[in-house]
Amino acid sequence: MLEATDVTKVYDTRGVETRALDGVSLRVDAGEFTALAGPSGSGKTTLLNLFGALDAPTAGQLRLDDQQLDQLSSAQLARLRLQQLGFIFQAYNLIPVLSARENVEFVMELQGVPAAERRERALAVLHEVGLGEIADKRPLEMSGGQQQRVAVARAIVSNPRVVLADEPTANLDSKTAAALLDLMEEMNREHGVTFLFSTHDPMVIEKARRVVRLRDGRVVSDEQREAESA
Amino acid sequence: MRLERRLAWRNVWRNPRRTGLTLAATVFAVFLVVVFVAMGAGVHEKMIEDSVRIHSGHLQVSGEGYLEDRTLEQSVPFDARLDRAIRETEGVVGVAPRLVAFGLLSKGSATKGVALFGVDPEREPSVSTLPERLVRGQFLPAGATRPIVLAERLARSLGADVGDEILLYSVAYTLENAYDLFEVSGIIALPEPELDRTLAVIGLADAQAFFVYGDRVSEVAILASDADRIPAIHADLASALGSVAATPVEVHPWNEVMPELEQFIFIDDAGMYIMLVILVVVVAFGILNTILMSVLERTRELGVMLALGLPPSSIFRVVYLESMILAAVGLAVGLALALPVVLWFQGHPIPITGDAGNATAAFGFEPVVTFKLKPLNPLGSALTIFGVAALAALYPAIKASRARPVDALRSL
Repeated sequence: MLEATDVTKVYDTRGVETRALDGVSLRVDAGEFTALAGPSGSGKTTLLNLFGALDAPTAGQLRLDDQQLDQLSSAQLARLRLQQLGFIFQAYNLIPVLSARENVEFVMELQGVPAAERRERALAVLHEVGLGEIADKRPLEMSGGQQQRVAVARAIVSNPRVVLADEPTANLDSKTAAALLDLMEEMNREHGVTFLFSTHDPMVIEKARRVVRLRDGRVVSDEQREAESA
Repeated sequence: MRLERRLAWRNVWRNPRRTGLTLAATVFAVFLVVVFVAMGAGVHEKMIEDSVRIHSGHLQVSGEGYLEDRTLEQSVPFDARLDRAIRETEGVVGVAPRLVAFGLLSKGSATKGVALFGVDPEREPSVSTLPERLVRGQFLPAGATRPIVLAERLARSLGADVGDEILLYSVAYTLENAYDLFEVSGIIALPEPELDRTLAVIGLADAQAFFVYGDRVSEVAILASDADRIPAIHADLASALGSVAATPVEVHPWNEVMPELEQFIFIDDAGMYIMLVILVVVVAFGILNTILMSVLERTRELGVMLALGLPPSSIFRVVYLESMILAAVGLAVGLALALPVVLWFQGHPIPITGDAGNATAAFGFEPVVTFKLKPLNPLGSALTIFGVAALAALYPAIKASRARPVDALRSL
């Protein structure tokens, strides 16, 4: 499904080169619940951004199924993100002027889904993540945990091939973070949604069924685990 | 597009204080632009009307070269054909033939040089306000023998009043000395001091007899139904009179007869428009600043939208629409406030009192501030402010649309 082959990413900041990824090769298959773990600066967010077609590698290849990402135009990449990927960011990731329901509808609206169907699907997913009651509230009226759950709802509502989550629990307290992880795990188990998230939160790492550890831009371990009991 | 409109509208109001301040500046600018342009139009139109109703008429027919030399030789044979051709021109509402000359007036030991207007007392009111400016006596009464009307300051300097006989000297068209006694039938008061010190008015027939001028006149003053029709009347008369007049004639609009007035209005307009341009530029920077601040604050949010698949062209349209909404709301409110004010003042001119009023009168204009709302004023103001706002909006919209999602997401 998602595959990185010998990917290198070098940032050039005012003449100073920083090697964020150094020859990373990694394959993520459908239905996985995988964590990219590692300390700050290890390259996990960079790798996630590359898989998400938000950035281009300096060297190496990235594929989503049979599509080689570096051969797509920016418009094709935008369409690919819209049609096949779901995103959950650390925080501040909802559009503040839209309600919870409108945020969830956002991607579907861009995809051209009819209004009635959009509304129905958005409300159904919001109910599923336990936020049916606050569908008309705007992000500023919600707690951090509620906002992240809306973000999860937005990421999965259009049935993407894979959801990329960048430190989804970073700004949440442990109880809210655990609830969010349960939700994502349930989505993975019940709906087969593939999750790939970057994290250095031990609780997230513990929940993941596969943990890929990065350090200084290289994969240092790739650990497959048995799924926890449902 | 519906999503873009919704995002733009809600973004405009997400910081009500900043939006309110920008709107207030836009409303203030629109209000000032509309009011000042209306005031400029009103004051200038009043100046032109005051001047044409004393001096030239909206248009003037005269002999070839008369405007440059103003001699008795450059005359217009004012016969029935010419008279009818002018009167039947569309848009002409008044026609007044005049004989304009210079002479000396004496009473007792006082002698004054005068500008002498020979006017037809029946037709002069159709063009000028001279008869309305009578303060004593009668304006060239029918049946009187050689009546003369003096401007007030002239009468005072001659020590003459209604009923007095005064002697008029000049040189006739035949280059012979011309002199005759005239009886003061009335006194007129003119706002322009220079004219009030020098103007004397006699009947056209008496003037033609005095100067041995036959049926000739120096000029034919014409009043148009509307100042806006002057160019059309000018063109019609210029083409029609060539074949009608017995000798070559010229047709001049008021601004050729009184170029100094046109220049004054041009300079006055220029000063006003420079001020208004500065005002509009300030508003443009206000809108630019507001939208740019708003874009910079939302860098990460824009990054999220790009990451989710909103195309850069949509980001451009959202940000651009925000500027246009600000400009449109500011324009609507500004016009809603300015138009009633202008319309009220259009019916209620503001009197200028004190020294300013005296100074205005000294230039020959009625000391009032008048307003005139022309359709081009709100339309032009709206288009200008909208156009400038549209230009100012380009930079933040382009900046927002060129953001790379990964850079935008890293911004916090």
